[in-house]
Amino acid sequence: MSTLRQAAIVKLRAWAARRHGPDSLPISIDRRRIYILPTRFGIMLALMLAAMLIAGLNYNSNLGLAFAFLMSSLAVVTMHHCNRNLLKLCVDANTEADAFAGGAARFEFLLRNDSGIERRDIEIRCLAAGTGGTSSSGNVPAKSSASVAVDIPVTRRGVLRLHQFELRTRHPFGWFHAWTYVQGSLTAYIAPSPHGSRRPPGTGRGAASRSEARGDEDFSGLRAYQPGIPLKHMAWKVLARGGDAAVRSYTSMAAQPEWLEWSALDGLDAEARLSQLCLWVLESDAAQRPYGLRIPGTEISPAQGAAHRVACLRALAAANPP
Amino acid sequence: MTAPLVKAAPWVRTAPVSYQDLLGICACLAWALAAHVTSLPAWVLVTVVGCGAIRVLLAKRSRSAPPRSLRVALAALAIVFLFLQFHTFNGLTAGTGLLALMAGFKLLETQTKRDIYVVTLIIYFVSMAALLEGDSFWMLAYLIGGCWLTTATLLRLTAGGPAPGWRSSLRYAGRLMCQALPLALIFWLFFPRFAGPLWHLPEDGRSAASGLSDTMSPGDITDLARSDEVAFRVHFANTAPPPQERYWRGPVLHDFDGHTWRRSYSASLRAPALRTQGPAYRYTVTLEPHQHNWIFTLDWPAQWDLPSAALTGDYTLVQPGPVSRAIDVQATSYTRVQSTEPLEPMQRGRDTRLPPGRNPRTLQLAQSMRGAHPDDMDYVHAVLGMFTQQAFYYTLRPPQLAGNSVDDFLFDTKRGFCGHYASAFATLMRAAGIPARVVTGYQGGTFNRFADYWIVRQSDAHAWDEVWIAGRGWLRIDPTAAIAPGRVEHGSDDASGADEPLGSRWRHTPWFADARLRLDALRQLWRERILFFDQDSQQQMLEYLRIPEPDGRKLVMVLAAALTMALFWLTWAVRRELEPAPKEPLLRHYSRLCAKLAAAGVPRMPHEGAEAYAVRVARCRPDLAASVTALCRRYTALRYAAAPARITIGQFAAAVRAFRPGPRPPPCT
Repeated sequence: MSTLRQAAIVKLRAWAARRHGPDSLPISIDRRRIYILPTRFGIMLALMLAAMLIAGLNYNSNLGLAFAFLMSSLAVVTMHHCNRNLLKLCVDANTEADAFAGGAARFEFLLRNDSGIERRDIEIRCLAAGTGGTSSSGNVPAKSSASVAVDIPVTRRGVLRLHQFELRTRHPFGWFHAWTYVQGSLTAYIAPSPHGSRRPPGTGRGAASRSEARGDEDFSGLRAYQPGIPLKHMAWKVLARGGDAAVRSYTSMAAQPEWLEWSALDGLDAEARLSQLCLWVLESDAAQRPYGLRIPGTEISPAQGAAHRVACLRALAAANPP
Repeated sequence: MTAPLVKAAPWVRTAPVSYQDLLGICACLAWALAAHVTSLPAWVLVTVVGCGAIRVLLAKRSRSAPPRSLRVALAALAIVFLFLQFHTFNGLTAGTGLLALMAGFKLLETQTKRDIYVVTLIIYFVSMAALLEGDSFWMLAYLIGGCWLTTATLLRLTAGGPAPGWRSSLRYAGRLMCQALPLALIFWLFFPRFAGPLWHLPEDGRSAASGLSDTMSPGDITDLARSDEVAFRVHFANTAPPPQERYWRGPVLHDFDGHTWRRSYSASLRAPALRTQGPAYRYTVTLEPHQHNWIFTLDWPAQWDLPSAALTGDYTLVQPGPVSRAIDVQATSYTRVQSTEPLEPMQRGRDTRLPPGRNPRTLQLAQSMRGAHPDDMDYVHAVLGMFTQQAFYYTLRPPQLAGNSVDDFLFDTKRGFCGHYASAFATLMRAAGIPARVVTGYQGGTFNRFADYWIVRQSDAHAWDEVWIAGRGWLRIDPTAAIAPGRVEHGSDDASGADEPLGSRWRHTPWFADARLRLDALRQLWRERILFFDQDSQQQMLEYLRIPEPDGRKLVMVLAAALTMALFWLTWAVRRELEPAPKEPLLRHYSRLCAKLAAAGVPRMPHEGAEAYAVRVARCRPDLAASVTALCRRYTALRYAAAPARITIGQFAAAVRAFRPGPRPPPCT
């Protein structure tokens, strides 16, 4: 039963993807893409309504029938309200997410509601192959927006691409669930889980001597600001004079970038090497040392900062070792 | 503005139910069960209330439900008990009892919100069950109120995250129900009704019989005479018969044991043929449920529209089962008839039999009077004459009578109500060998001038006699009419009013009587239009809609068409709320002004402000220049002036309303 249902859902998703074609975010949900079906509770309600109708007809009771018809009509109205709960809702998402294997990739979705009514219990579900699918839900107040974060648990290193996510709601009463598929592509870069016991190659000279070498007296000039450089190095006076954002540069920092290399990790298997490299990247980043990454097929020249770290981790996630 | 990041639980169904929601659902269940409080066995109600109370108390102390084995055992015990009491679960009371018990025990084991869902469905169903045999408007309103409350509770239960407040839940549920109303009305009007039940359900016998019974002892009818309850209502198609012919026939009593008259079940004879005379009265009787199988008709019934009903040998209209809910019967009666068939010997024997050794003084009296009046009719008149000439009184408070009730009444107390006179008269007739029987029923009725129908109350209960006179057949003789003619001419209120306590005199004040009649007229309207809405009414409705040759198929087509329209409306109504908020009043009035000017040939350009527009209008329509300039200036002042404007929006609206641009001139740019 369950597998049959799963198969039907897979077919439906594929059909919806073909029907609607790829979407570009943000997207406003129109009525053509909202599907609706009764839930199990709704089916129980329908059976009860049928029993009510039969009882009312059998007793020839006009009042009983009036009650039964009122309840049936309430169910029909509820169906419209359930459908409306998704209608004309604007969805945007950050299409890229970073994670470590064993952790969770977090996609954030922004729901914008331009109408004068609150949208309650909007659930966003991301179905990744191999995982059961995860979802989060939230309310979007009238004329406002709300963000909903969906954490997808990831176990293995790699690049996870989702071509579809789902917005669903059971509001009100949980008798119906309305849903829509959005063909927006989401990418999760899953870096290897950072672990390993090897010491980074640059530490041969000792971390202590390095930290001593760092100092303000080694000022060597100004260079252009790049995201990720600590604010304490900002040349505020230059900025105040109306110049471009600049940072003070120090000889000790600019010198001696360390290379984190695949080839330095002989004797380990591929995934262990990548895990070790990942740990090194994080350590170097935490210590604010410039570093470069060299793995088969990819070379990232030395730099530092958040953007650089992300680039390195993504390279590790996407690595395709021999 | 971005609301804070929300991360809710995966899905609410498995979330534990909160104390407040539990309390809410218990209240809803209690609300629905209160409608059954008169019919359900007390122990079922106590059990359900107990289950709810225990669960709420446990929840208050944050403890979980009692162990499963205990719950299952208790539930099984209760259900076995219920079955032993009713021997079925098929009937209304038994079925409702079962559902109530299920709801109670489900409530007891409630942990998650999902458990509550079943309870809400039971509440809905139990509410509807209360309406199956109910008939009052207030009951419907009460249960729809309960449905509203339940729906609001369900809204809170199914909400992810924090539950919305009670007030907003009730408002939202109320709005949904209001939107459901048109659809429900269409269903109700056009959903085809069937003539009979789909299958027969056992009668529960849930209400006690009321009104006349099939026995009559001295004093029985006096109890009824104090009751204001309505027995039935009658609408005459043409004219109503005169008061002295308004006898409503009920059960006919044959067997007398000296104290009590009983209906005879010994023979179910067919009704003898009658020759009818005088006018035919066509009328509709709306019977209140009285749990007996007879149907009151005007004496003597000739035709009726209830296929299952039939006349007994003594001309009482009966149906196979008891009248357990209000029914209406269309019938035709003739007040003057003559029997054309001779009395069968078996019937003669039954209607002349007297209990041996009872009422000896009466028998003696009858023999002496019969000696003086050998002719049957002479004898009848002599007995009636005795009632009027001797000191007999008509009273609602007759003294108690002992075993020989007729003797006591005729020779000692001489005070009685219609039952006493009918009984004594029939005894005197039988003692003289004239076949006589006691007919019970109602006599008279109150005309409701607000709605053209007659109300017959229990206080109109009456008993009279029929005697068999050779050559003339059964003759109605009402000895009470001889004692208290007013009883027959004006009804029981007039005849008995003299000895009623002063305290109830206010009931006879005109305004009270009027108010009561008006209320009764409304009740009757509710009956006719709502409770008795059936196949015929639907047919009439289709005829009213000018649909040729209405039948069931056409009805379904009309239903489908109306539903389609209603669904279009619903879609529009529900989606309309998604549109941006309506314009503020000032803008609305301004748009109206622009629309008027557009109709006059000078539409406003999208880029134009009010002042520029006024200038252009002044150029194109010099006749409107002054008024439009003034209006636009006012609009500008209202909209943009920092200080409070000199005029109000209301004044501006009135000015716009009064503005008439006149006929369209040649086009202008």
